[in-house]
Amino acid sequence: MRSIFLAWKNANGNPFRSWTVLLCAALMAGFAVGATILIGGAEDSLNLALDRLGADIIVVPSGAEQAMENAFLMGVPLTAWMPRDYVEQVATIPEVEAVSPQIYLSTLRGASCCSVPEMFLIAYEPETDFTLRPWLERNLEGGLQLGQAVGGAFVYVPMDPGYILIYGYEIDLKGQLEPTGTGLDQSMFFTLETARDIARLSPTQAVQEMVIPPDSVSSVMVKTRRGADMHQIAQQIEQKLPDVTAVESTNLFHSQRVQIIGLLQSVVVLLGVAWVLSVALIGLVFSMAINERRQEIGVLRAVGLPRRFVLQTLLGEGLILALAGGVFGIALCVFAIHLFRNLIIRLMGVPFLVPSPLALIGLGGAALALALVSVTLGALVPILRIGLMDPALAMRK
Amino acid sequence: MKSNQPLIMLQNVSKTYTLAKKRSVTAVRALSLEIDQGEFVVITGRSGSGKTTLLNLISGLARPTSGQVLLEQTEVWKLPDDQQSRLRNQKIGFVFQFPSLMPSLNALENVMLPTMAEKGNDQAAIRRRAASLLEEVGLADKLEAYPRQLSAGQQQRVVVARSLINHPELLLADEPTSNLDEQTEHEIMALIQQIHREKGITVLLVTHTVELVSYGNRSLRMAAGEIV
Repeated sequence: MRSIFLAWKNANGNPFRSWTVLLCAALMAGFAVGATILIGGAEDSLNLALDRLGADIIVVPSGAEQAMENAFLMGVPLTAWMPRDYVEQVATIPEVEAVSPQIYLSTLRGASCCSVPEMFLIAYEPETDFTLRPWLERNLEGGLQLGQAVGGAFVYVPMDPGYILIYGYEIDLKGQLEPTGTGLDQSMFFTLETARDIARLSPTQAVQEMVIPPDSVSSVMVKTRRGADMHQIAQQIEQKLPDVTAVESTNLFHSQRVQIIGLLQSVVVLLGVAWVLSVALIGLVFSMAINERRQEIGVLRAVGLPRRFVLQTLLGEGLILALAGGVFGIALCVFAIHLFRNLIIRLMGVPFLVPSPLALIGLGGAALALALVSVTLGALVPILRIGLMDPALAMRK
Repeated sequence: MKSNQPLIMLQNVSKTYTLAKKRSVTAVRALSLEIDQGEFVVITGRSGSGKTTLLNLISGLARPTSGQVLLEQTEVWKLPDDQQSRLRNQKIGFVFQFPSLMPSLNALENVMLPTMAEKGNDQAAIRRRAASLLEEVGLADKLEAYPRQLSAGQQQRVVVARSLINHPELLLADEPTSNLDEQTEHEIMALIQQIHREKGITVLLVTHTVELVSYGNRSLRMAAGEIV
């Protein structure tokens, strides 16, 4: 029998003190983990989405920039058109290294000719594309052919009918991209040729025709030369084509970033307040509990247990409760985030990527350390006060 | 093993407690006392006469304001905490007037409590000894019982068993029967007497019940912090 055994027994013997400390530890650890997952995950998501898009500037029709951000972030389908010759006009601007057009489409909701729920579809031009190419070169030799597609991380082939049907057109899913946590995970990529083939056959195969206006594109992805002034190029594009908006990648998802920063500031303040209150509450509860147990602690010293052992036992009680509360809080928080992920994304208006299991373990470890340190800090003063007292004084009523 | 030196020696010991608003109370006044090994000393006195403080001074639970407290020729308060605790743990057994069992431990674990800080103990042997002590005090069937499941007399028997776990040379009993009825009081006192007789343990018992002096082989009376 050692101090940890005694600490364990004592922790079980005082339900009010134990539950209060346990809940404080759970609150702190859960709050820290939840805030980090949501804020860090949202930041990661935005960065991965930007990487996935791979363009320095995205040119869209004026007024469509917000809808485009929503499409990329939340997977809300977008319809926007501008003349095809804008692609060539953007390409003529000095310092522009590459341009590639994209067409944005969507499946039909609840229609028998579409086997997937409403989905954001991105058609790209294989000859000029530089956004999907790195992934295709790594994973799919020869690129995508007619009728083939790659999907985001959450795009699956339905069990029934066993293939993806879009406007009555059978799509062969050739692979899935790494998750980003954004709407891109629920989007599908295919070539412009496939898009046009779907549109051509849709009047006979689908309940509704898929319309792609002739000589039109939805956006132009722009890659600038190394070291070029992106802002200046965007201004040149907008001067040359007054009815478009050139969104610089650094400004993409700007409102979401501002929201995340605001959220981060609020969370830091809340976490700070919750931490101070929890430490104070733990201190108060420990003071009360230790005061109640003064005689008991005096007896421990009287029967010859050294001061160090008694202090270890009392601190051990706190640490056991912090550990149990921390694990409970972290598990509850991760479970709640997993269960209500979609609701949280809707409420936050920003998607977030759940960290990898390894990162989650690291995060859990840090949150547990926070809970342990907080409980130790809260409990230290009352424990030291009683521990350093003469045993005879401690035993006095 | 008996020696010619007294087991306990107090030389001109005083203890003054400082209270709020700079008031102070002297609980023990310039007290000198010697107790030899194997004695059963009963100290009587009214409440507030300094009996409990005297026991606390002897056991190192309270620091004397002046004077010397020697236990087996060792000045208790000159020892660092670890050694002082070890001395108390190995040499002294305590029976208190208040319920002093740990409520979260069962009877067996309470008896084993003083051995918890010792590293490298043979746990099985300690468990056997604790069970045997509980059997000696008549609680063989209560090993797993928690204090709340025991009567006041039974709890005090567990305390007596706990005080013997480390084979002490000295048993300090502070009003051990103050919360008990007459019948149980007699049983506990007979038990302490038996321990003194059979194990040769020196007993120092303080009480306000004058009738209990008959259990000892020397009696003293305290008043206002002095032996009178």
